[in-house]
Amino acid sequence: MNEVSECLKSFREWRLSNSKFAEITGLKFLLRMSVQQFAQPKSSANGYGRREVEREGGSRVDNKLHSGKSSIGKMANTHYSGGNKIGGFGGASRDRLVYFSTCLIGHHVEAQVKNGSVYTGIFHAANVDRDVGIVLKMARLTKDTSTQLQNTRADSLSKSFSKTLIVPAKELVQIVAKDVSVTRDEISNEYQSEKQEELLIDSYISRARPGDMERELKPWVPEDNDPHCPELENVFDDHWKRGWDQFEVNEALFGVKSTFNEELYTTKLERGPRMRQLELEASRIAKEIEREDTRDLHLAEERGTNLPESVDIDEETRFSSVYRGRVADDCGYEEEENILLDTRNGETFEDATSSVIGKVFSGITGGIDTGDSLLSSRSSMDVPQVSQSKDSADTLSIEMPDIHDRLLLPHLPTTLSQSDGEIRFQQTITDPQRANTDTGGGDQQKSVSHTKFSSVLKIEDSQSSSGEHDDFHNADGKGGPSSKVTSSTSSQASIRGRSKKNPPGDPLETQGGEKLSVESHGRPGSSVSSTSDRPGRASASAGTGLTPSSSVGSLSSEKSTLNPNAKEFKLNPNAKSFVPSQATVRPISPVGDSSFYFPANLSGIPQMHGMPVGVGLGPYVAHQPVIFNPQAAPVQSPQAYFPPAGPHYGQPMLIGHPRPYSYGPGFPPEMPYKGREF
Amino acid sequence: MDVASINSNAEEFAIGCFLSIKTTFGDEFKGQVVAFDRPSNFLVLHILFGGGRKNVRILKANYIKELAFLGQGDDPVDLSKCCLDLSTLQAREELALRQAEAEAERIGVGVTAEAQNLFDALSKTLPVRWDKTVIVVMNEVRVNSPYVPESVSGGTPAANERVKKVLELERRRLHARGGP
Repeated sequence: MNEVSECLKSFREWRLSNSKFAEITGLKFLLRMSVQQFAQPKSSANGYGRREVEREGGSRVDNKLHSGKSSIGKMANTHYSGGNKIGGFGGASRDRLVYFSTCLIGHHVEAQVKNGSVYTGIFHAANVDRDVGIVLKMARLTKDTSTQLQNTRADSLSKSFSKTLIVPAKELVQIVAKDVSVTRDEISNEYQSEKQEELLIDSYISRARPGDMERELKPWVPEDNDPHCPELENVFDDHWKRGWDQFEVNEALFGVKSTFNEELYTTKLERGPRMRQLELEASRIAKEIEREDTRDLHLAEERGTNLPESVDIDEETRFSSVYRGRVADDCGYEEEENILLDTRNGETFEDATSSVIGKVFSGITGGIDTGDSLLSSRSSMDVPQVSQSKDSADTLSIEMPDIHDRLLLPHLPTTLSQSDGEIRFQQTITDPQRANTDTGGGDQQKSVSHTKFSSVLKIEDSQSSSGEHDDFHNADGKGGPSSKVTSSTSSQASIRGRSKKNPPGDPLETQGGEKLSVESHGRPGSSVSSTSDRPGRASASAGTGLTPSSSVGSLSSEKSTLNPNAKEFKLNPNAKSFVPSQATVRPISPVGDSSFYFPANLSGIPQMHGMPVGVGLGPYVAHQPVIFNPQAAPVQSPQAYFPPAGPHYGQPMLIGHPRPYSYGPGFPPEMPYKGREF
Repeated sequence: MDVASINSNAEEFAIGCFLSIKTTFGDEFKGQVVAFDRPSNFLVLHILFGGGRKNVRILKANYIKELAFLGQGDDPVDLSKCCLDLSTLQAREELALRQAEAEAERIGVGVTAEAQNLFDALSKTLPVRWDKTVIVVMNEVRVNSPYVPESVSGGTPAANERVKKVLELERRRLHARGGP
């Protein structure tokens, strides 16, 4: 150290003799420079100006410095060891000075020198010995007052960088550093964020250009408290409080007459003596719905309730993403919901004459609605619902992680009116065992493909099961696979039986209907309801053996437990065709992408009759008995018939004309059906 | 030297006090004293802006022309938090150096401001670099001074055309804006 100081001293003297301030370019300024190096500038006639050395001893901050934490105290110590006579106050102050200078390392600073010129560069080091001199790296002159050239043209002057610039103490006037972080946390934060900036982000690139300088921002002050400004707090007050009717004003000011007729957009309300009563009823129902227990994240959010598990879910799932059924946290709900849907569907669609609405459910549990009486009774009140649901392509939610156990295709009654084509379903009623034991890809595939379509199948269900929902137990309890679905039965594949949804379904079921639900989870051997949370809900399908093609929809990507040899998988040329009233297929997200064949032209078809494929996948594809006829736009081009990629796809539809037509999965998803029909 | 003699009274530079300073060069600012080093006569000031960020000025007291005492405050520095990690600092410095060097590459030496502006504009969409005073685009097309579309040469015809076009547009835009 001593020799270094010696050299430094000598150089200081040497530099003092130079009045001219010159830049040193390309000089590597290393701490532990050898004496020879120090000597070099002296000998060379480069006109190296003054050189300022960095701090002596351990207080030198340089690249060569060993890393490690350093504190002011440490600095002070080394400084003291330099033999400076510093008083108490001065010592502390000196420490601070040292500290702040250290804080500046790596920072962009502006250094002003005696002649007024300003240099901008990266702070590299400072010598705070007796006087403060600094070293800047990549410095350039930004303000030049030394020469006659006023910095009018940003010519080469400001553009040439000096690799190293030393500003001796004598020259230094001030150092200005902007946005300096002083504490350790600040520094590391700053560094972290700067590190990220190394990636060339746009803002960084544009920063290179001296574009807009920041303006000083002043807070906005309204002028004269403009009386025309409406009170912002009251803007969203109820209209009766506001005393402001926009239509009135519009008419008054501009003569614009409103031609709004509410009845154009909604059902005409019967305003009569019964109005009040109806209103009350409606609001009661509304409250009931709103108070309903929901397991859907989004619904819960809307209602303001918090699902217990919602705390850990990430924001995207919670607020943004579309529910696809496979959401882990929501797994259970789907089934519930589907069951509810099914119950509703049962009510809605059991009318024999109503068209079959295909629904695709991923998990199917539940029973088949049976009992004509029940059905008809239901259907009557559901007619509006039916139409509505039929119209909307997305009445039923299709979320199904589970897979059908089996794909049961009901015999559709000829009463299916809606769709034009014929769809033949195969009765898939099988023994419960069969249903349960059904395994294999066939099932899977069926289910999967069905998921694509939303169709509420009407299932002729001859089983008039006990209407108790609890009767969803194993087929044993129910009667064998039924038979034909009564035309009035609409089967709904309830997607997942969930015990929670029981209550809403209960009243319906007690009416004697059974919901047909196909349990779709690839668990063989268990009763259909095996995946259902609902204890009571044995897969009715198991019991009834009737799987609505809608259940087809509830295919999920799990292993199918369908029995490849099930009756439903065999082509039944005499089967009645099934014409779903509406078909929206909801792609099952869990299914691998490859399994989705989404024929391009399918998107052109607004409403597909969801044709759940009643056929097993794979080998059964060939036996596709289902003929599907899309209601709306004709299918442009027949799709190539491709076997399902995964185990989940059933081969769907055939178009009305006997042309094998395979739709891949990937129909537009159906919106979850969460309504009620009354 | 043109240094105004200043009263470097220790009391005036008590830590924490707010001062309004005017330097001999005409800089005016207000700040809070953070440190004052008598031997070297350097004053360290915090100039606070809104948002928690502060500028630091290290000023040699000799160059204070005018000084006004605004008030006394507490020590703005929390000594317990003042701990420096040299490795972070060095890393930061290296980072800054890298960035500065990258930037330096973008700036032509001995070129007019107009040329530099054109270079910057071109660099927004094309890879450009300087070769003395020639703008080299995509390593093929060269644009010499005076950086008009006619001075574009080299490269494939397509690239050439493109550079010409961009150059023209940029020129037009710069002129519309008033130019450098």
